[in-house]
Order: sequence, then structure tokens, then C-alpha cells
Amino acid sequence: MQAIQVHNLYKHFGKGDNIVRVFEGASFTVQKGELVALVAPSGAGKTTLLMMLGCVIEPDSGQIWLGEEKVYDNHWLIKDPRALRRKKIGFIFQAHYLIPFLTILENVTMLPIINGVPKKEASKRAMELLEYFEIADKANEMPAHLSGGQNQRAAIARALANDPQIILADEPTAALDRKRTIDVVKMLKKLTTDKNVAIVMVTHDESLLPFCDRVLSIENKKIIEKPVTPDMHII
Amino acid sequence: MNLAYKDIRYSLGKFLVTAMGVGMLLGIVLIMMGVYKGMLIDAKAMIEDVGADLWVVQEKTLGPIAESSRLFEDTRDVVAAMEGVAAAEPLTFQSLQLPTPKGPMRVMAVGYDPFGKIDPIKRLVEGRVLLHDHYEIVVSDKTGLHVGDVVPILRHRYKVVGITHLSVSSGGVPLVFVSLKDAQELQFSYSNNRIRSDRARGVEENPAHFVNTIVVKVKPGYDKERVAKDIEKNLHKSVYTKEQEENILSINFIKMASKQIGMFTTILIIVSTIIIALIIYTMTLEKIKEITIMKLIGIPDSKIVGMIGQETLTLGILAFIFANIFAHLIYDKFPKRVVLEADDAKKLFAIVIIASLLASLAGIRKVLQADPTEAIGG
Ligand SMILES: Nc1ncnc2c1ncn2[C@@H]1O[C@H](COP(=O)(O)OP(=O)(O)OP(=O)(O)O)[C@@H](O)[C@H]1O
Ligand SMILES: [Mg+2]
Repeated sequence: MQAIQVHNLYKHFGKGDNIVRVFEGASFTVQKGELVALVAPSGAGKTTLLMMLGCVIEPDSGQIWLGEEKVYDNHWLIKDPRALRRKKIGFIFQAHYLIPFLTILENVTMLPIINGVPKKEASKRAMELLEYFEIADKANEMPAHLSGGQNQRAAIARALANDPQIILADEPTAALDRKRTIDVVKMLKKLTTDKNVAIVMVTHDESLLPFCDRVLSIENKKIIEKPVTPDMHII
Repeated sequence: MNLAYKDIRYSLGKFLVTAMGVGMLLGIVLIMMGVYKGMLIDAKAMIEDVGADLWVVQEKTLGPIAESSRLFEDTRDVVAAMEGVAAAEPLTFQSLQLPTPKGPMRVMAVGYDPFGKIDPIKRLVEGRVLLHDHYEIVVSDKTGLHVGDVVPILRHRYKVVGITHLSVSSGGVPLVFVSLKDAQELQFSYSNNRIRSDRARGVEENPAHFVNTIVVKVKPGYDKERVAKDIEKNLHKSVYTKEQEENILSINFIKMASKQIGMFTTILIIVSTIIIALIIYTMTLEKIKEITIMKLIGIPDSKIVGMIGQETLTLGILAFIFANIFAHLIYDKFPKRVVLEADDAKKLFAIVIIASLLASLAGIRKVLQADPTEAIGG
């Protein structure tokens, strides 16, 4: 079952002499339950791709399916991309980007509550996530009182709180120490198997690739599949 | 979950200090409105106190206060004898520099007949009214004088026999009361120079027999306007009813004062609006990163805009509450009468709500412009 399908996607920025062609005929598919790494040099278009998948940046042309739903066919087919994002997609960024005036718990429950989940239920689910990330004791603290790693784990909990079918993660472990990095990636992998979630994770950290099901890259403005060689599976 | 509440709670100190600052500005607006109301009341206070139905003044003048008016004192007898007149008494008005413990003070001296039927002193808080024809004075408490004090005015020494509270002329100047005879002598003394020049020109008038107005009480059952018409026709004087006299005094300054105070309050309200807008705008800018993230993860604009709007409204309402506290703390420290009315507060409240909504626009615009793709640089 496919979670993401992209077909013949084109995207450029700017015009005239300043034109930057990022994608020209990019196609790929991510299945449900897959953890896919996206590795490519800086400026290749990784973030741009995630933003197009998240219906934040509009492509020039092509087609995009999220789950069964075709969301883009040379133009947006969805009316409210933000509603789609808060219902189907979880975002994780390099920085935690928690809302500073909300407690950790409120940060995590915000989206589900807006989605209509009763507050009690949302809190219960959020506490489970926080426990999973070993920061349940910080639930009522402000983000400013937590360490970078704790905040990043809270941010991941937030991305999971709305039970997304797709998680788009842009260098989610860049701010974490070695142990936490491995923990987070293992945890993401576990999510794909337990919850059948599809995850696209941008990373520069080659040591994480063995945890991933597939590795995609951007070459010549197209998406290519990189073979996961056996010697990558070290751990 | 109310985002505005959470955000305010997060930056409570800054929020309260801003609300207090804006509250002080708005408090001054309330005071200004109160000053205006006070002036309106002052304008009518003396006329209310005198309590006469009609004011007879020199023909074709708006006397005795808005314009100068001179009548022969014996006009009183003619007026008193007219059909429908229950009482007619002369009054004089003149400005004086009164020596007080606080230094010389400008007051308005009202001369009246202590033995007459109309007593203009209504706000006595201590002592008594005048009982003698000479050298007694009733003063406003604003002068700082006490019963028993002796005040030299020109050639004579006056004994303070009574103290009034809040009795002022239409311009808000404190009133003092002296006997008609003393008042006429004071007027005479004041115009010594003029008398000399009048004499030189061969004009012989003894100002001691002039008064500024004759106030009239109409007998019950008589139409005041009719009596006024009769006096006007027969004596060739101008006659105003109490209401007309009040209008003469208030209209005169309503135009000026309402413009003046209107300008001040408008400017203060605009400044307050700008301050609220600036604060909300900077508060929005400070969290623009979080706002773009909120947009990115799918929080609807309505939630974010609602947050900004509610914060601005809360700031406005808090400022309004501080304004009222502030105004009530300081209003009685002003030298002139300040009257704080619930009606004015309500008006200001409506203005504050509208101003807050306007003030939130800059922040809201910023929210709507924020581009979620900029949230994650690169
Ligand atoms: N809004 C924009 N306007 C113009 N050019 C843009 C814009 N966003 C991205 N680009 C360009 O598109 C290209 C791809 O950018 P993108 O951010 O997707 O790269 P990336 O692979 O995420 O890089 P990094 O690893 O540094 O994060 C870059 O050349 C960038 O300069
Ligand atoms: Mg990037």
C-alpha cells in the first residue's frame, strides 16, 4: 500500500538568470510502513521536496498522491492543505520549534485538540508519548526549561500526537547526541512497523542509513534509489 | 485551549506593565472627560445655588457674567413691585485677588443683600452666612481660610464667618460672598481711576448705586416667561430664565472647551492605540517563527488571528480597568472640579474596544503574511 507517490514532478525557483531548477521529472513511491532516508548534498532540494509533499510549496507540474488521495495534478486538488497537514502529516525539524508559551503537554495536545479529539483523551495519549520519550516528568514545564534533546523528543511526540499516516522529518537528529540519535531513529523505525506509518527522513548522517528500509537521493534533478549495501548494516 | 491566555500568562509581567502604561494614558482621557463634565457643572453651579427663576440684566447684554451688565440698584424696587414677582434681589459680581494662606488667589466676589429674600449661599460647610452689612465674608474652602480668620481687602479687614465647599463661578473660580454694600464699595474702590476720568469728562455717576443683576423669584402659579416678558417690556431690560442663563454660560465655553478637550482626548486615544498596536505587533514579531511553524504543522489562521485579536482586546480591557483605577485615585487632586461619570467610562470603553481591534490589525497582517516555508530556513 502506497503512502506517497510522486510522478514526474517539476519545480524551479526564480526566473531569468537567477533561475534554479530543483526538480525535473522526479518520481518515486514510499510504501506504508517504510522508513525512507533522503540523502543528498546541501541545496539539492531535500527540504523543497518535503515541503511539496506537505502541500506547503506548490510544484510547477506533476502529480502527488498522499495515501489514496491525489492531492496534486498540475495544480492543487485539495481545498485546505492545512487541514490535510494537521490530520495526515507529522513534521519534525532540525530545531524543535515548540511553542514557547505552551507547556510540553500543551504543545503535544494542541493539534489533536484542534482536530476535535476531546481534551482528556488528547492528554492521555500525549502523556503516553511523553512517557515513551522519557520526558513525562517534564509534561508541565515550559520548553525553555528543557534541554535541547528533551525538547527535540517533545517535538517528535508532537509530530506523532495526531496519529499521522506520513511523517516528514528534516534532519530530525541533527541536534541530538549520539545515543539519542540512535534512539530516535530506532523509535521512528518502530513506528513504521507498529503503526504502519510512512516516514521520509532527511539526514546527512550515513551511520543512520542501516536503520532505514530504503535510501533515496537527488541526482540530476531526479530522485534515484540508492542500494542499501549489506555492509551498511553494521549494528 | 486558549492560546491568547497561555501567551499572556507566559509574558505576564510585560503585559501588565504595558496595560498599566496605556491605562495611565486612558486614565488621563477619563480625567479630561471629567474636567469637561466638571466645567459643565461649574458653569451652572452658581446659578443653581442662587436658585432664582429670572435674571434681569442691562438691556441687550448677556450679563451679568458672560457680559458686563450695570443696573441701577433701585431697579430692584420696581421689579419687586411687578405682577407675579415674589422676590427680587440685587447681586454684584467682581474678580478679586484674595490674600490667603496659600498666597494671593483669584476669586469671584458675589455681593448680596444679607437681609434680602434670596440667599445665594447653598454650600456652607462651616460657620454661618452673612449677618451684618459690613466686613464679613464667606469663603470657599479652596482658599484655605478658616472661620475667624481676618482678611484684608483694599482698605478694610473682613472677618471670615463661613466656609463653603465647591462653590465656584461659571469659570470654576472659587466664590466668596460679601454684603452688597461692601461689594459696591469694592467696585467703587477698584474703579477710582475711572471715576476720576469720568469726572474729568463731566460724567457724574456714583458706582456705589449700581448692581450687575437683579435676580427674581416668581410667585407660584405665574408663568415665568410671561413675567420675564413683562419686565423686559416695561423696564427695557434683558431678562433670562434660569435655563437661559445657564445656557448662556455653558454654551459660551462648551464650544471652546469641548474642542480643546476633544483634541486632547483624541490625541491621547490615538497615542494609546498606537502603543497597543506597537506592543501587539512586537509581541507578534517575537513569535513569528512559532507562528510560521504553527501554520506549517496545520494550525488554521483563524486560531492564530484569534489569539492576536484576543490578546489585543485583553490588553485594551486591562488598560481600561487600570485607567479607571488611576483616574479615581487622582481625580480629587486636581484644582478644578473633575466629575467622573459612568457614562463617560462606558463611552471610553467602546472606544478602547474599537481602538484595540484597530491596533490588532498590524499584528494580524503580519500573521497572515507569514510564510510557512520560511519556518525552516533551507
Ligand atoms: N524560496 C526559495 N526561493 C529561491 N530559491 C530557493 C527557495 N527555496 C529553496 N531554494 C533553492 O532551491 C534549492 C534547494 O533548496 P533546499 O532548501 O530544498 O535544499 P536542501 O537540500 O534542503 O539543502 P540543505 O541540506 O542545505 O538543507 C537551493 O538551491 C535553494 O537555494
Ligand atoms: Mg534543507
